[in-house]
Amino acid sequence: MSAGRPVLATDRAALMLQLVPYLIGKGEVSVAEAADEFDVTPAQMRGMVEKLTVIGLPGEGGFWQLPNDLFDIDWDLLDERDLIVITNSVGLERAPRLTAREAAALLAGLQLARSLPGVEEGGVISGLLAKLARGASSAPADVIVAPAPVDDVRIAVDTALQRGVAVSFTYRAPDAAPTTRTVDPVKVHIANGQWYLQGWCHLRKAMRTFHLDRVSDPVLTDIPIAHGEEPVPGLFEPSEHDIVVRMRYAPSVATLLGDYLDRADVQTEDGVWRATRRMGGERSLRGRAARRGGDGETLEPLAARRAAEEWAGAGLAQYA
Amino acid sequence: MNLVVALMATEQGLTKDTILSSVAGYREQSEAGASKDALEKMFERDKESLRGLGVPIETIGDYTDPDDLREARYRVPTAEYALPADIEFTPAEIALLNVAGGVWSQRSLSAQARSGLRKIRALGIAVDEPIIGYSPRISLREPSFAALQSAIEQSRVVTFPYLKPGEQAARVRRIRPLALVEYEARWHVYGIDVAIGADRTFLLSRIVGDVVISRESFEPTLRDGAGERALAGLRDVAARNSALLEVNPGSEASLRLNRRATPAEQGIRVPFVDVHVFADELASYGPEVRVVEPAELRVEVVRRLEAALGTHTGSGSGR
Repeated sequence: MSAGRPVLATDRAALMLQLVPYLIGKGEVSVAEAADEFDVTPAQMRGMVEKLTVIGLPGEGGFWQLPNDLFDIDWDLLDERDLIVITNSVGLERAPRLTAREAAALLAGLQLARSLPGVEEGGVISGLLAKLARGASSAPADVIVAPAPVDDVRIAVDTALQRGVAVSFTYRAPDAAPTTRTVDPVKVHIANGQWYLQGWCHLRKAMRTFHLDRVSDPVLTDIPIAHGEEPVPGLFEPSEHDIVVRMRYAPSVATLLGDYLDRADVQTEDGVWRATRRMGGERSLRGRAARRGGDGETLEPLAARRAAEEWAGAGLAQYA
Repeated sequence: MNLVVALMATEQGLTKDTILSSVAGYREQSEAGASKDALEKMFERDKESLRGLGVPIETIGDYTDPDDLREARYRVPTAEYALPADIEFTPAEIALLNVAGGVWSQRSLSAQARSGLRKIRALGIAVDEPIIGYSPRISLREPSFAALQSAIEQSRVVTFPYLKPGEQAARVRRIRPLALVEYEARWHVYGIDVAIGADRTFLLSRIVGDVVISRESFEPTLRDGAGERALAGLRDVAARNSALLEVNPGSEASLRLNRRATPAEQGIRVPFVDVHVFADELASYGPEVRVVEPAELRVEVVRRLEAALGTHTGSGSGR
């Protein structure tokens, strides 16, 4: 739910068109639930509902509208119990078609959903794509998301998740010897085309995140999930092991740096930008520096700067 | 809103005069002494914003003179306004749509997806088995996306400054944009480059300035199947370009690359789309991977490593 962001006039009109079908479909709904559904605050939802009651059909022959010509709600229920019930409706009962934008946003989402194990075989997607295209008011722009191939690891993790059992696998963390882990799967995140499994690690006795590219030899166990209810941290939440890094770069290469700047604190100074952000460790840092070539310069900490230098030097030595 | 209700309730349509004198909103303005001119402007503006929301407003003109709009009548045809009654969604489809509606991390697209989902959910279909345990996200950080999407919807030519790696300055490109494609976690725009009259694919991350939508439009049928063509094009390129690499076993590089690789006599073969994008990735693996061929890729990787070494040599103070 948005934290009280003002609703623009056009957005409000769009919401109002959806509000009537929603309220009629629900019959009776609390202000809080409706507000949540429409991503507005309860006060804004109440305002929308009150606004609804001055909307109606034009009056006949130049007279003011009669009560029957306007939307109406049960005011007692709203005032006393925070419940919304439409008592008179004068139109708009049917849900509007999707706009081209809405259809495009959902169509792209469906293509990503296609990469979830088992979804494609169900044959649900292609039917849905056609229905959405037909339910749009004008042709949506083609927004295509190419799905990543599903492999044994993903299928095993999915099966474990569906059956509610732990899965064992070999995990190769960066710069560490491989370990065998048994994990109660809780959630699979797909971000930037990468898959991450979050779950309770029997070895570490805590919630951990595993990059599926580092997972091999998965084996399903018959151990039922025992720690699925524990809180799961956000995917990229800062941890105490993070180091704070400062780098500088020319503004013209900002978009080329991509996701690096997503969680960075950026300051501009004499046409040079300085970004400060937390990083997971030296490993990802030195790789980052080489990836950017000379576009960005790691300033601090000095150890990270040294690591970047050594990493690039060692890489280069192979070609000498 | 009163305008929509009025226009939907009428079969024959309402004339502008009727609307301005009887529909709430205009009527108060009219009685308060607003000029006819001002009211008409207000009506035109409202009509446009409603069309922007996807509300179809039909103009029924004078049959003897279609250009004469004085007697024109306006209506919203319910069949075109409402979600078609014969589109039905199964609970399994709704469950998938719920996942699809939550994938966008970018705010405006997320709002669009949720809004579309609300309309479908208003059809009142229950979800019996929600899809749990997955949180797929599409990230989008390129500011050019929104303008390109608008241009595709309107079939309009766009221009934008495009910075190719290795070139000192951006060059302005002029294209008929046809589709937006996310491939290997990068956004591309596919279209026809007007200057050369051929299909081209551009990386959004290399668009370094504003996308300008021109007044020049193109035939919307060019968009038909464009997404699939773009994807097929990218896959073709990847199938043609393959790199021969030597990778340290057990290293990070080997984990990341082996998923995409086929074994070769000397190392592994990995297909790639863009030599610069792939060189970025390979350079990040430092000593864990060595490019055998093609030479072009080798040169680019070496160049990045040299630059990274050069930039990071010394303490960095006073520079």
